[in-house]
Amino acid sequence: KDFRLGLITPPPHVWTKAAQAFGDELAEKSGGAHSVTVFPARQLGNEAQMLQQLQTGALDMAFMTVAEVSNRVPNMGAFYAPYLANDMSHAAAILRSDTAKGMLEVLPQEAGVVGVGYGSAGMRQILSRGEVSSAADLAGVKLRITPFDPILDFYNLLGSAPTPMPLPAVYDALANGQVDAIDMDVELINVLKYYEHADTLLISNHMMFPMVGLISARVYAGMSAEDKAMVSELMAKHVDTTLDAYIEKSPAWTEKLNTVGINVHTVDAAYFGDVMGKWEEIWAAKAPSLPDLRAAADATK
Amino acid sequence: MLYRASHLWARIEVFLAATFAALITGLILLNVVTRSTGNAIYWVDEAAIYAMVWMCFLAASAAIHYRSTIAVTVVNEFVPAPVRYWMERGVDVVIFMFACLMVWICLRWFMPLQLMEAGWDIKAFQGNTFNFIYAEPTNTLGIKKVWVWLVMPVFTLGALLHTTANLFHPGHAAQVEAAE
Amino acid sequence: MTPLIFIVLLFASVPIALVLALTALWYIHESGNTVLYDSFAQQAFAGVENYGLLAIPLFILTGELMNEGGMTQRLVQAARVFVGGFRGGLAYINLLANMFMAAIIGSAASQIAVMSRAMVPAMTKEGYDPGFAAATTAAGGLLAPVIPPSMLFVIYGVLAQLPIGDLFIAGIIPGLIMAGSFFIVIALIGLVKDFPKGEWMTLPVALRALRDALPAFLIPIAIVGGILFGIATPTESAAVASLIALAVGWGIYREIKPADLGQLFVRTATNSSLVIFMIAAANVFGWVVIYEELPQKLAAFLATVTSDPFTFLLIVNVCLLFVGMLIDGIAALILITPILLPIAMNTYDINPYQFGVVISLNLVLGLLTPPVGVGLYIASAMSGVKPFTIFAALWPFLLAVTVVLLVLSYFPILSTALI
Ligand code: NA
Ligand code: NA
Repeated sequence: KDFRLGLITPPPHVWTKAAQAFGDELAEKSGGAHSVTVFPARQLGNEAQMLQQLQTGALDMAFMTVAEVSNRVPNMGAFYAPYLANDMSHAAAILRSDTAKGMLEVLPQEAGVVGVGYGSAGMRQILSRGEVSSAADLAGVKLRITPFDPILDFYNLLGSAPTPMPLPAVYDALANGQVDAIDMDVELINVLKYYEHADTLLISNHMMFPMVGLISARVYAGMSAEDKAMVSELMAKHVDTTLDAYIEKSPAWTEKLNTVGINVHTVDAAYFGDVMGKWEEIWAAKAPSLPDLRAAADATK
Repeated sequence: MLYRASHLWARIEVFLAATFAALITGLILLNVVTRSTGNAIYWVDEAAIYAMVWMCFLAASAAIHYRSTIAVTVVNEFVPAPVRYWMERGVDVVIFMFACLMVWICLRWFMPLQLMEAGWDIKAFQGNTFNFIYAEPTNTLGIKKVWVWLVMPVFTLGALLHTTANLFHPGHAAQVEAAE
Repeated sequence: MTPLIFIVLLFASVPIALVLALTALWYIHESGNTVLYDSFAQQAFAGVENYGLLAIPLFILTGELMNEGGMTQRLVQAARVFVGGFRGGLAYINLLANMFMAAIIGSAASQIAVMSRAMVPAMTKEGYDPGFAAATTAAGGLLAPVIPPSMLFVIYGVLAQLPIGDLFIAGIIPGLIMAGSFFIVIALIGLVKDFPKGEWMTLPVALRALRDALPAFLIPIAIVGGILFGIATPTESAAVASLIALAVGWGIYREIKPADLGQLFVRTATNSSLVIFMIAAANVFGWVVIYEELPQKLAAFLATVTSDPFTFLLIVNVCLLFVGMLIDGIAALILITPILLPIAMNTYDINPYQFGVVISLNLVLGLLTPPVGVGLYIASAMSGVKPFTIFAALWPFLLAVTVVLLVLSYFPILSTALI
């Protein structure tokens, strides 16, 4: 069978390359019985639309941010606990834990997709137009976020004015002061040159930003047992490579941002005061796996 | 009788579409004001987008009644009047077929019968059908997306009403102004 | 079989949106991927679910308010000050007013709608051939998506992940070149045909015309200022513009009352839905086409043909001219950018701004080419002139755009100089 795999990243991106590599290896291991056509750069729609296509079986597979899945399965919001992971390596260890893998079990019933394993898009940082000398300076600040609940709660607790905005609008919005700050990762701050219109970068690593490899539950149900095993195993292997890619590349991206002429402050959990505790209170109710995930995080430190 | 029902419904559709157009303008302006005063409202963009979707499909259905949709009329201009008449009747039939197909597509999508068989239990329905549309959330509005998606069956039923009425009520393609 | 169905339905004058939808349905049937039926309505819905498209009703509303509030007419008067005295003055006025409007409106379709209503009757009354009047207006409308603000650039920027503000700036020189080429076309047509004579205004009248138009110029200033000073996104600036248009038309010109708003919103809803519904249908059509990997195959083939960037752009231009004949600009842009842009950037090292300007201009041209030329049909619907009559007078303008397109393809600097 020729599987169709959709994702939102452009062709040169780490995710897209992993998807291609997965397709190549699947074709090889199956002796040409299976192949994968990759549809990058939102060709089949945004993540919500692709998830809906996975549910109907129109799309076979996708690499997708956990944020999108967490809109339907709130338990997945646990991954966005502030300072769950200290850095990218720690985030990778957490995402590789059995606890994390176990959280994928309910996806077929609750979202119509089979989750095979996690990848990543790095850690979240805060880039600001104005000087930020303490977390209090972020209060009242218009701050761009991707629209999903865990991150909304984080910035609401911080007293910021979280402003949802699709990625393509961000550069202009930052340039013309429509937002004062953005929640972003070091890769895109570099690649899309967001630093050109900012004064201060907080290397906060306050949240991880995981990705998950998904197969349509409808399509999966129609596959033979051997195919199920081979396809999920290979896909899990290749989404996992993105974790290593980000571990390897993140330091260089961070390093480069030290040389672009903006203030770079490296901050930790203490910087955000009691926000973490309050976030935990809200999400303990919504995400039952949160304590287990914290335990897994402690175990992999 | 059927044509009058169609006409009445088209007027309601246009009225609602105009209301949504006003709502879009209001919401976007609200966004400008609230954001420039530092009180950005989280859900305004999504609400404006859905208002546009509703405006679009309601007015699109009404456009079938008014025969004011945009079409390629190069051939029409060159054929003699009787041929043109039968071409226009043919188009009426094609639009009727489209509306029937849309009914079938909406039934496949919303699966109302299966939902009823599952005793309106969405979890059981999802287990039986692998259809998750009743669980789909909106991003920022806090309501289920199916409420917004309902515009598709509304559009479909409106289109079916208008095109059925048009079948029995031949008329010439009107100008866009007809919709006013 | 699928292309045949498409062509038959199209020329049988089935509404274009339904042609696209029905062709997609037939294609699903033929390909046997019946699972796509389940996502069909959802994809049509998703095609409209796009923040950028909100600009369409807002630009149309602004246009309606400018018409009803007496602004269009005063901008036309202001244009008269500069070019009114030439033979064929009203034709030049039309173009100049279209340039002013292009600085306010971002969509060719809405600009053609607004300007056809305002200019074609005026030109016909002064003795111009109605086909030429409608053609000049339709061509002038092509400036809307090239001179900022521009909906096509908004959408291209979204797809190419480029800053939209920079893209707007990239459009300025090409927009001026295009306007210049239209002035030349009109001058050349004037050598062949006898245009009605124009008249220069006396100084006091000219000053009064400029003074009267001053409040109308608030609108482009507000749009550009809104974007530059961070008060608004391009979509929001369209909303602000409509508010200012209402304020000027009501408070200063006194030609419009809030009670008229109901009718304006009815027109905004019905007219913008004509365009947006086609985008919805184009979205399902494009989704099915991409799903079956047709564009990918085309792109792979293109890459084997040449290694020269200019030749590549030429091939792209020729292909897009055909695409533009069949598919509406925005829909086509959405269809091809994700496929062609990576090839352009990676294989041919073409600047993404230049590529964006070139393909946008190309697809804009498609708005006026039959069989699917939305702009042509809008101009026809708004002016009452038959599409074929308009097209017969339109070809010199289309030729001019094609030449500009070649120049822009050859000299990247024209698109990148100001960024
Ligand atoms: Na413009
Ligand atoms: Na065309």
